[in-house]
Amino acid sequence: MSRGDGGTAVSPAVMSMRLPSQPGEVIDRHTRFTFRWNGRRYPAFDGDTIASALAACGERVFSRSFKYHRPRGLLTASFLDPGCIVQVGDEPNVRAAHRLAEPGLDVRSQDTWPSLAFDVKAANQLFTRFLPAGFYYKTFIRPHRLWPAYERVLERFAHGGSTSAHLPVPERLRAYDKRHANPDVVVAGGGPAGMAAAVAAARAGASVLLVEEEQALGGHLRWGGADELAAMRELQRRVEQTSGIEVLTDSVVLGRYDGNWLAVLQRGLPQVHERLVKARAKTLVVAAGLIERPYVFAGNDLPGVLLSTAVRRLVNLHAVKPGERAVILSANPEGDAAAADLERVGVTVAHVEDVRRGGDVVRVRGRGRVGEVQLRGGRRLECDLLVTATGWTAPVSLLTMAGAVPEYDPRAARFRPDVSRLPGDVLATGGILGDGSLDELLAHGEATGHEAARRARDKAAAVPVPALSVQPHPECFHGPTHGFVDFSEDVSSNDLLTAVEEGYDSVELVKRYTTATMGPTQGKLESVNVVAIVAEATGRTITQTGTTTWRPPYAPVTLGALAGPVREPVRRSPMQAWHERHGAIPLVAGAWIRPDAYGDPADEVRAVREGVGIIDVTPIGKLDLRGPDVPKLLNLLYVNRWSKLDVGRVRYGVMCGEDGVVIDDGVTGRLGAEHYLMSTTSSGAAAVWEWVESWLQTEHADWQVHVTPVTTAYASVNIAGPRSRQLLGRLVEDVDLSPDAFPYMHVRTGRVAGVDGCVVWRIGFTGELSYELHAPASYGLHVWESLLDRGQDLAVRPFGIEAQRILRLEKGHLIVGQDTDGLTRAFSAGLDGLVKLDKDDFLGRPELTWQAENKGHARLVGLRLADGSVVPDEGSQLVADGSRICGRVTSSRHSPTLGRAVCLAQVTASLAKPGTEVTVRLVDGRSVTAKVTEHLAQVDPEGERLRA
Amino acid sequence: MPETAVVARSPIAPAPPETVVAGWVVSGRRSTAGLVLTDCTPLAKVAVKATPHGAMQERLHVPFGRAARRSPALQAPGDALLVIGSGPGEWLVVAPPGAQSRLLEQLNAAAAGVTELVTLLDITHGRALVRLTGDRSPDLLAKECGLDLADAVVRNGSALRTAVAKLATDLVRDDRDGVRSYLLHCERSSGQYLFDALRDAGREFGVDVTGFEPAGI
Amino acid sequence: MILLPCPWCGPRAADEYAYLGELTPRPDPQRATRTEWRDYLYLRANLAGWTTERWYHRMGCRRYLTVQRHTVSNDVRSVAAAGSGGEP
Repeated sequence: MSRGDGGTAVSPAVMSMRLPSQPGEVIDRHTRFTFRWNGRRYPAFDGDTIASALAACGERVFSRSFKYHRPRGLLTASFLDPGCIVQVGDEPNVRAAHRLAEPGLDVRSQDTWPSLAFDVKAANQLFTRFLPAGFYYKTFIRPHRLWPAYERVLERFAHGGSTSAHLPVPERLRAYDKRHANPDVVVAGGGPAGMAAAVAAARAGASVLLVEEEQALGGHLRWGGADELAAMRELQRRVEQTSGIEVLTDSVVLGRYDGNWLAVLQRGLPQVHERLVKARAKTLVVAAGLIERPYVFAGNDLPGVLLSTAVRRLVNLHAVKPGERAVILSANPEGDAAAADLERVGVTVAHVEDVRRGGDVVRVRGRGRVGEVQLRGGRRLECDLLVTATGWTAPVSLLTMAGAVPEYDPRAARFRPDVSRLPGDVLATGGILGDGSLDELLAHGEATGHEAARRARDKAAAVPVPALSVQPHPECFHGPTHGFVDFSEDVSSNDLLTAVEEGYDSVELVKRYTTATMGPTQGKLESVNVVAIVAEATGRTITQTGTTTWRPPYAPVTLGALAGPVREPVRRSPMQAWHERHGAIPLVAGAWIRPDAYGDPADEVRAVREGVGIIDVTPIGKLDLRGPDVPKLLNLLYVNRWSKLDVGRVRYGVMCGEDGVVIDDGVTGRLGAEHYLMSTTSSGAAAVWEWVESWLQTEHADWQVHVTPVTTAYASVNIAGPRSRQLLGRLVEDVDLSPDAFPYMHVRTGRVAGVDGCVVWRIGFTGELSYELHAPASYGLHVWESLLDRGQDLAVRPFGIEAQRILRLEKGHLIVGQDTDGLTRAFSAGLDGLVKLDKDDFLGRPELTWQAENKGHARLVGLRLADGSVVPDEGSQLVADGSRICGRVTSSRHSPTLGRAVCLAQVTASLAKPGTEVTVRLVDGRSVTAKVTEHLAQVDPEGERLRA
Repeated sequence: MPETAVVARSPIAPAPPETVVAGWVVSGRRSTAGLVLTDCTPLAKVAVKATPHGAMQERLHVPFGRAARRSPALQAPGDALLVIGSGPGEWLVVAPPGAQSRLLEQLNAAAAGVTELVTLLDITHGRALVRLTGDRSPDLLAKECGLDLADAVVRNGSALRTAVAKLATDLVRDDRDGVRSYLLHCERSSGQYLFDALRDAGREFGVDVTGFEPAGI
Repeated sequence: MILLPCPWCGPRAADEYAYLGELTPRPDPQRATRTEWRDYLYLRANLAGWTTERWYHRMGCRRYLTVQRHTVSNDVRSVAAAGSGGEP
């Protein structure tokens, strides 16, 4: 690398262009420090932006342009400056004319290779014919097979710096933050009108959030003369002294959404990098002011061509001399004021070319910087600075997001918002709306702020809002030569004409074809010029041509700010910490963290089949149902019959949607006369609760039923295996576990391991003799440890989700959502015996009736592979006649009990008969043969083990 | 079987040192910070369901959206009771650890003769309960909750349910000695998540953890 | 994000609710033809204008609501408890 490092080899720069103290300067000359720019050390004062510090040292080139890699310097000296986007340390795309310099910053130019001074890609400008308008669409198209190569080429030419992945993740995440705000009034823009509006609103009793993009309040007053500075300080004092105003500087309202939901980006905070403030405002006041627009002519991008506001900012805010000899193209008082500023600080003003008297600039020439200006009529002047003041753009984004339509006003030579179409909760004030003297702007701001508070709080009396006049301004967008329209995207006026010639005659099409207005400045500088040039080229007026649409975000925002800190609710069972301490691999299942396995799942399976195992099944959904009409509810929800269920009995049920699709299954037990406990699948718990409530609240509000979710009120443990009765017997104090007293599919309540209020179910998902224990959750860990402690001699061991999946698959128990999908109706899920079509209304009955009539539906079957060593992947297709897909494997595992694969599969009706041979196409392309089994269960199909 | 004292555990891991209070393992930490977070899960919690605006509501005398220290249906010594109107026709009654049987008895008595369906459910072990106290607690909550918590909107004694850190959470404003304080409760299994989210959000305000003390609520 | 006035909880941001779609009258499941039933299951008018829809206040009172909303302007002209009338 040629650019040196550490700043030791090259002597530090000196502030050769720094002016003596200026009345409105924002720099603190007592605090001086250095930072690095492309490896060299530069001095700066506190309050300098990166760009102002560099400009004070005479630096003029800050970047290379996007397509042609032309040298670019300051243009607007504001956040929007397209030529001042740099890399700061790890952070790309920093706006150097906005970001404050800090001691020790490592600032580098981005997107240049090998260096800012010698940019290889600058050769592009010699070959502009290769990068014509719409080059994205014309180049890199064919042959398609070369796309990977094209991508690599395009990447090199893309915008942007780089970010490293080295910063540790927690630190990176902590750099971003979010908060909510609910102010009565949000004022977007802290210029004179915005400040007046904020003060008036707060005085009328409203809470106010005043948002200013720059680092200080004041707007254009900041770089004004003595009167403006005095007025600004008075306004700042009022804002400070009025209670109820929260000021956010270096912040920007990114977007306005329905219900005045505002995204506000707050930068420059000490502890966080960026913070997204989600503000719900009762009234929004848009006081975004005006943005000065550049002028289009040959050489308009040369370093040394500056806007009048840029000159005034540099001179008055940062005490930087922008050049030695200036020519000024002025169409308005701001241009005249810039000329006066320059003269005051000793810059030679060679000439003021007045647009109002027919003046114009033809071109600027120079090698890497302005050297000579050619005026209308051919006069040539030597200079190193050309200042343009040719008009304004109203940044109407927030207003158009609220429904206002910008309309072109030829008298003012700019688009102005038609505020008659704004909703009642959005107002505008200041330059965005009209012109006027400072007093007129303040009066308008004050009345608007008062009105905003009135609309927000409905307390203050209404006061009339005066109208803002509009000052005439010459319509000047471009000179007689072609120049850059969009500096960020390197789009010239010639490119726009090419696009129009090629038939892209609508401004929206021209935008997309040339990418004009699509770069980092997002149209704020270039939109009006684009429209004016397209209008001229198509022979229409600007009004007829219209503008492109302004969409959020108003300013660029990092993905980090949008993402913010990670907040994704997590659920844990009372035993999860124990599982992790004992080597369980955590499994993320929806919001739950669960133990997948503690060791080899096959060993866990064998322990359950041969001895006893315990599994934490806390996430199993549990709904407490009370009331006389619970049986009616169960009859409605489940496809099977529920009217007669004695106290202490348990029944398995399946729920279908109204389309007949299986949505959940589980057991429900009757604990008392009007007290039932329903269990649901773990993943379906929340949805089933809402489903049950929806029927109770909408169709059956007269039913006397209360539903309370108690999923996490209980720690649930399944004790499974031939020795489960023996183990549980050692802990249960008041429940008779003998087979006759407590048969299969029954439920009891009692005291377990000294804990009252436990519910014990005799059910069996694993196919073994098993009990499911629900213990009050705060005692879950105690019960779990007691089971392990008391069962040591029985070789009890914990098993995880994977072992349970194998166990249930051996037993042929389906999992809703695994062996069924969003289209699986009950008769396709092996539930034929369960569905009672002769029952009165139940959810899904019409569709299931028709499904039963058709009989052509897919079926759930068990599969046994001819080669027992092959375990097909879940999702493997079943094929017939070589290639016709006729089903798929839904569940597949190696069974430690049988020593071969066990599978469930969805197959077409014709293949569902037991004994049918099917072909399974494996993921690697091989085919294997399998046979449809007699039963879904391949271990203990008669259920002798679980009824033991 | 010989049961030594069976202790209950909150879903929120106690900040060291651990101690046992009223049969619960709790944090013995004491903080004097201006903004503190306390795990109050050991408090007894009984859910009541009945018809909105019905006879049971009249007997409890607490409407949805309010929380009261007293209710004609319940007797409790001192400040040791909070009746929260947590939903339409839903209440949560909170009392010191171990009080659930007494609460159920009193509520059962209060429900006698009420013709509408009334359900009483001990959900002491089904909810995580956290208290956030300090003047800056609304600023902390504003980072995780979109609701306007301004004094005029959510005054002392307000009860509501909303999303806090994307989690459905019951929020009760229950100032203590004139200092802003909120009780937050959620499904037990998300208790640690909520606690961690609040602690993380409160870092910039210097939030600290202080242990549970059973006196009062 | 729209602010939907919940009759129980007051105005709340839309992300507290589940949007369950336009309300369509449920035919008598005992008598409905396949066409009628599937129209009920799958067909929606999807009007650009006033619609009657179902929302569920998931993060709040957990009540099902019948909402009349203008799908273009997002204006809401009535919100009522589901089952209390107002459904088509």
